[in-house]
Amino acid sequence: MTAIVLDGIVLGLQFGLLAAGLTLVYGLGGVLNLAYGQMAVITAMTVLFAMNAGVPTLAAVAIGLVAGGLLGLIFDQTLLRPIYRRQGEARVLLSLLLTLGVAFMVDGFLNWRYPTAGLGLQISGGPIEVLGIPMRRGSIVGSVIILIVFALLFVFFKGTSLGRAVRSVIEDEEGARLVGIDPSLMLRIILIISGVLAAVVAVTQSMIRPVTVTAGFSITVFALIVTVVGGLGSVTGALLAGIILGVVNSLATSFIGTFLSLIILLVAAAVTILIRPSGLLGVRE
Amino acid sequence: MLEVRDLAAGYQGNDVVHDISFHVDEGEAVMIIGSNGAGKTTLFRAMCGLSRPSSGVVVFDGEEVTGMPAQRMVRKGLGFVPAERHLFPRMTVHENLSLGAYPKRPDPETMSVVVGLFPRLAERRRQHAGTMSGGEQQMLAVGRALMARPRLLVLDEPTTGLAPKLAHEAYEALAVLRSQGLTLLVAEQQVPLALAFSDRGYVLENGVISLEGTSEELAADPRVRSAYLGVT
Repeated sequence: MTAIVLDGIVLGLQFGLLAAGLTLVYGLGGVLNLAYGQMAVITAMTVLFAMNAGVPTLAAVAIGLVAGGLLGLIFDQTLLRPIYRRQGEARVLLSLLLTLGVAFMVDGFLNWRYPTAGLGLQISGGPIEVLGIPMRRGSIVGSVIILIVFALLFVFFKGTSLGRAVRSVIEDEEGARLVGIDPSLMLRIILIISGVLAAVVAVTQSMIRPVTVTAGFSITVFALIVTVVGGLGSVTGALLAGIILGVVNSLATSFIGTFLSLIILLVAAAVTILIRPSGLLGVRE
Repeated sequence: MLEVRDLAAGYQGNDVVHDISFHVDEGEAVMIIGSNGAGKTTLFRAMCGLSRPSSGVVVFDGEEVTGMPAQRMVRKGLGFVPAERHLFPRMTVHENLSLGAYPKRPDPETMSVVVGLFPRLAERRRQHAGTMSGGEQQMLAVGRALMARPRLLVLDEPTTGLAPKLAHEAYEALAVLRSQGLTLLVAEQQVPLALAFSDRGYVLENGVISLEGTSEELAADPRVRSAYLGVT
């Protein structure tokens, strides 16, 4: 039982990280980025190609993180321009269509050029015991990295004036403008962060199982489910929902079967929407 | 200090206000009086850079600022407190005030002036803005705007939703600010309060300025008396 819950927490941390990058962009700009999973895959491929070119692993990972940030910046400067000129529902709708289009293009291209590519980072060394349960070293290292990233996010949002400024735009965009904060600048910063988070997703996942070129959509789907449960625009909600869903998924897999675990996650999301439409910790709409 | 010439503004091509011209001199307290729907909010939003005016000119401190976004206007010294306040509901009072000084660190001296003016804000420092009463939220909205040390403070209906006693207190606080040299431009439908407080005023009716004058002149005008002061 402990082993199942621990597995669930490891998975849950992954889920939480997935959702964080998606939920911030939605909370801030009303843009639902359906190409988020593809951003993670592109950074995974960047790390893979760097390693294949002989770059040491750590340096390759650093290149991947930078690539993620750049990807976010490019997104902000190109695709999001027409989206920002819309307001409200039209903005959400256009963001869904445009990012979905990009997702298909990226998926198609990667499948055509590199159909068998996959990034798998080997963490050497034997299992680590946690509460008497031997855990794979990759899971532990990945989880620790994710916890550090969340800690950094919390420090940024609660403890720095730039982080507070970003939060203020999530809370009330017009209020933010009235105190001299430029919402489009904050959004650019958030997209860069979101891109870096996508890279962290790719790197930490690859420590547990390879991230293949086709992983994009499943990453996005899980991120969406967790985002819905956690609440749009809330990093804490993403972490909380991620862990809850991770444990639910792990329990469902061992007691019912893998084939039903995705359905159970979707049911969990549906129930959350019915009970709390704005998610566990969501910003009210 | 502020001059508006022939301003027209509205939503989606339909102008709500037309041919608006008025000015506010340094150290003055000026009122824009008008009933609900007269166009006060539309005018202020266009003037303060939250929306784009469809035509006309806004000059602040000798510089043309027509259509400049609100986030840049505030750094030039024009603070705006909208009627809906637009606070950050899930942030504490302290965080709201600190953000008022963005991008600078909140200046302790300004902070103590603000909480001196509104002691309730000091008591509620750690409370979330969204959980406060209407009057407290109004204080916080004004306090947040003051943190940027504006030279002109524009307030849209600062007494909306406030009980009469609180509305009086709000104007007492504004009078203190005025005595400290702050220039004020206030839109108001509670005309008696407004006229008692201000030097001059403009009456906005159906999107145009129909009357202007000193507060004494306006208070004596038969049209103002029957329409806004309930005197026949």
